[in-house]
Amino acid sequence: MPIKSYLAHPHSGKKNELIEALSSIEQCEIMPAQNKEVLILITETEDKTEEAMLKEKLETIESLKLLAMVSGFNTPQNN
Amino acid sequence: MYTSLTNRRKFIKKMAILSAMTAAATMFPGILFADEQEKGIPNSANLDWKKAPCRFCGVGCGVLVGTENGKAVAVKGDPKSPVNKGLCCVKGYHSIMALYGKDRLTKPLVKRKGQYVETSMEEALDLVAFKMKETIKSHGKDAVSIYGSGQWTIPDGYAASKLFKGCIGTNNVEANARLCMASAVTGFMTSFGIDEPMGCYEDIDHADVFFLWGNNMAEMHPVLFSRLLDQRLKRDVKIIDFATRTTRTSKASDKSILFKPQTDLAVANAICYEIINNGWVNTSFVEKHCNFNKGLTNMGYGLEDNYKFKDKPEKIDFTAFKKFLEDYTPEKVEKVSGVSAKDIKYMAAYYGDPNKKIMSLWCMGMNQHSRGTWINNLVYNIHLLTGKISSPGNSPFSLTGQPSACGTVREVGTLTHKLPHGVVMNEKHREFAAKIWDVPVENIPSKPTYHTVEMFRALDRGDIRFMWIQVTNPMVTMPKLKRYRDGAKKEGRFIVVSDIYPTPTTDIADVILPSAMWIEREGLFGNSERRTQHFDQMVDPPGEAMSDTWQLVEVAKRMGYEKQFYYKEETHIEEIYNEYRKHHDNKKHNMAPLEVLKSQPGAMWPFVDGKSTKWRFNAKYDPACSNGKDFHFYGKPDGKAIIWQRPYEPAAEEPDSEYPYWLNTGRVVEHWHTGSMTRRIPVLHKAMPHAYVELHPHDAKRLQIRTGDNVKLTTRRGEIVLPASINQRGVPAPMQVFVPFFDENLLINDITLDSFCPISKEPDYKKCAVKVEKA
Amino acid sequence: MRKRLGIISLFILLFLAFIIIWNYSYQTGLKEAYIPIENGDDSEVFLSENGVFENSQLALDYANMPVDENHQRTLKTYYDNRAYYGAPPSIPHPVKEEMSMGGNTCLQCHQSGGFVPKYNAYTPITPHPEMINCRQCHMVQNTETYFKQTAFAKKQAPIVGINNALPGSPPMIPHQIQMRENCLSCHAGPAAPKEIRVTHPERINCMQCHVPDNTQLGIDAIIFTRDNNSYDE
Repeated sequence: MPIKSYLAHPHSGKKNELIEALSSIEQCEIMPAQNKEVLILITETEDKTEEAMLKEKLETIESLKLLAMVSGFNTPQNN
Repeated sequence: MYTSLTNRRKFIKKMAILSAMTAAATMFPGILFADEQEKGIPNSANLDWKKAPCRFCGVGCGVLVGTENGKAVAVKGDPKSPVNKGLCCVKGYHSIMALYGKDRLTKPLVKRKGQYVETSMEEALDLVAFKMKETIKSHGKDAVSIYGSGQWTIPDGYAASKLFKGCIGTNNVEANARLCMASAVTGFMTSFGIDEPMGCYEDIDHADVFFLWGNNMAEMHPVLFSRLLDQRLKRDVKIIDFATRTTRTSKASDKSILFKPQTDLAVANAICYEIINNGWVNTSFVEKHCNFNKGLTNMGYGLEDNYKFKDKPEKIDFTAFKKFLEDYTPEKVEKVSGVSAKDIKYMAAYYGDPNKKIMSLWCMGMNQHSRGTWINNLVYNIHLLTGKISSPGNSPFSLTGQPSACGTVREVGTLTHKLPHGVVMNEKHREFAAKIWDVPVENIPSKPTYHTVEMFRALDRGDIRFMWIQVTNPMVTMPKLKRYRDGAKKEGRFIVVSDIYPTPTTDIADVILPSAMWIEREGLFGNSERRTQHFDQMVDPPGEAMSDTWQLVEVAKRMGYEKQFYYKEETHIEEIYNEYRKHHDNKKHNMAPLEVLKSQPGAMWPFVDGKSTKWRFNAKYDPACSNGKDFHFYGKPDGKAIIWQRPYEPAAEEPDSEYPYWLNTGRVVEHWHTGSMTRRIPVLHKAMPHAYVELHPHDAKRLQIRTGDNVKLTTRRGEIVLPASINQRGVPAPMQVFVPFFDENLLINDITLDSFCPISKEPDYKKCAVKVEKA
Repeated sequence: MRKRLGIISLFILLFLAFIIIWNYSYQTGLKEAYIPIENGDDSEVFLSENGVFENSQLALDYANMPVDENHQRTLKTYYDNRAYYGAPPSIPHPVKEEMSMGGNTCLQCHQSGGFVPKYNAYTPITPHPEMINCRQCHMVQNTETYFKQTAFAKKQAPIVGINNALPGSPPMIPHQIQMRENCLSCHAGPAAPKEIRVTHPERINCMQCHVPDNTQLGIDAIIFTRDNNSYDE
């Protein structure tokens, strides 16, 4: 079960749209910064295929300028 | 927040968030994730939370006050406030308890035949207006005065200034900020020509080294100090405590350097000497943006009545400045200051290192100084010589002690020589103010009258007959207090005091007006970083208590100034603020509109094109810069800041064989100002029930004094007996003692000296000679 | 001849060197002497709160450390190990070296802490590692029996959670500070009793929000009272 965290940079002035777009995706959890144009994105998926699909989905978001991965973990299924 | 190991997924997610937050913090200094912080705060469902700036010190923390059934019941730090980011200190967390002391003043009291008699607000205000008119008639306009404070909200101070300067026509307007910030103001004016810090608190997130000049920040500005400590954990910054006494701050610092009182002047010059001698001067910055000046020396100390001083600035060149500094080699200064040459070089090396961003912080240590203006100038010299100024992380930063010392006293200008925009001596400034105030320009006198100490001397002499004191407690805070208390009690003086609790100052009053405090009314404060913050009324004031603003408006109306005081009771704060903004309608000082201040935790002036200005004088950040260069010190006509040649001179009264110790006074973390509010908060009183005198353990041993023993302190002004404190909260250097001033039952100011800085007229509470005996 | 020349030039060299060195030392002798100031007192200044900042460099580690819920200490076991509230805890395990007064023997584990499989617990950290005669105060419990029964009544320790003045305001410090200044040693880390483990060890300057409650120590200071006439002669 991969868990990854990213810094998501929106196109200028499109932070709110990005927040909206990301929060509509089930596997995503976000934490927007209060005073800067950046937000933290945490993805949690069941397996690698789902992870890859999610990645594709994220890439289609228009308000997203750059997605920089910070850390990634993988944990066994059972807990 | 802790995570639990039992839920491994949650834990991993937490780690993922943490690493992302750390990464974000390195990329964007000062970044905030408020939502995450807010999760941790307990949320009582039926509480109504509203934002306000904290009532106490000048840091200006954003707090959220929770009310329930018309009572304030809880406080939390406002995570959205860029000042404190959700954290408060012990005073802030318990601030609302200051509203509910049992002996709160709720009815006006009038002194009749030595007894205080309850009366109605109408009657009391009638009496105040009548007495004022009568005094003007029999003794002239300059016989009435108002003495306010840095705890005045912006509308309070504005109404006072408009009434006294504009309508009545006297410059007898002063505020207790004269006793705490005046040297900072004259420091800014002489070095830069315009008041208040160029930088802001965000500098803390960028600086690499912090110098604390005589500033016990861990106790006095704890929330900002937490930000320093936070940066140290994250970025390994250095904190250097340069002080006369070992305190909590010294213990938390990376290095603590002690100097002899008053010799900070010499050490600052020695640092400049080292910077020049080692070739660390930022030559292009100095050539483009600085001039060199010298002023008069041997100015005296203002100990005599009617003392006058005016500095005569004279241009000098870099060579002359360099020559002057030859008297301040580290080896020579070491002998004066007690700071080893090695330590001086150590400090200079940090200031001189082009790769280190430096923030210098100070407050009362440098301001309550008989050469306060000079030491402020000298620290700016260091920053100007190295070009470390007005850019993120490079910041000489003057902290304040009261919630609106900047916002009200300095910006509205409730000092004898000031107008909201400019000074009374300037005809154009008078015309400008008179137009907005809707008064004839001749009303505003062109000559300043009395600064605070002189104002109380005038009351003693009888030149002033009527004084209205609002939100402050001079009968605890004036130096050489006994003279001024006796003066105020003399026959033929009429004193009005607006306050929320009985204090030694209400004890000398002829009329006591009960005031509405803080969130019992609407108002605005301005903090140290030029941030103006608005707060709504959240609870009703007790009894007949009325805001200071409205008291002034009511009296003004009774004196016949209805035209100028046209404000409606429901909207007067908004009307006054909008009128006040007109005085600052320019790029250098524009204030944010009220809607903006209501919607967010404050905004920093100059507020231009909908944006706060974080770093003034820097063309990148400040739209008022207009000279086409990187920096523009537009306070001065030629756009250049001034490096001042200021020598070391001794204090007014130094220890001798008869009075062999230094006496230093100050505050403690639990209590604020004179304790009239904080001592009524049980938590704070339990932690710090009374004042004490701190001695060095060696002195204590020699005098056979142990903690708790009574100690008699004697100065040329009188004597006082206090319990001793050894190796507790702080330790003064040998042959020095320290006493906090908050305790009205142990008035240390009865024996302090009323010497002041001749330029700023701010008294030196930190230095006089004292004899110490076991009582 | 060569030998002689060599010797002469050697002496000339030595002579030159002598002149240069003498000259240099004469010149420096002319300069004003630099005497470093004597600080006289090099002893460490001691504040009653000396240790508050001591473990602060570990604060971030404490903050990020996950909690091992299966091996937490509770306040009950914490107090059970003391004769009364405020008494020094006894040593609940056999000591390694009976000859040692404590010092390094105890500090090996109790200075930094860590998990001990033998006792299935985390080692509590001492707030005063500088006091090395541990066994002056801390005793081993070698028997569970009494010599004679005692009538000593154990005082109730302060209860957690009722110590703040307002909802959500920081609780006061209900105990004395002496020898307990190092807040993090008991209030953070895996060995901290779970009830008093601080949620924000990274704040460091603990006493900016948490102030001591002197009334708990028997100091009379319940309500501030005005002493009206102290300044009227």
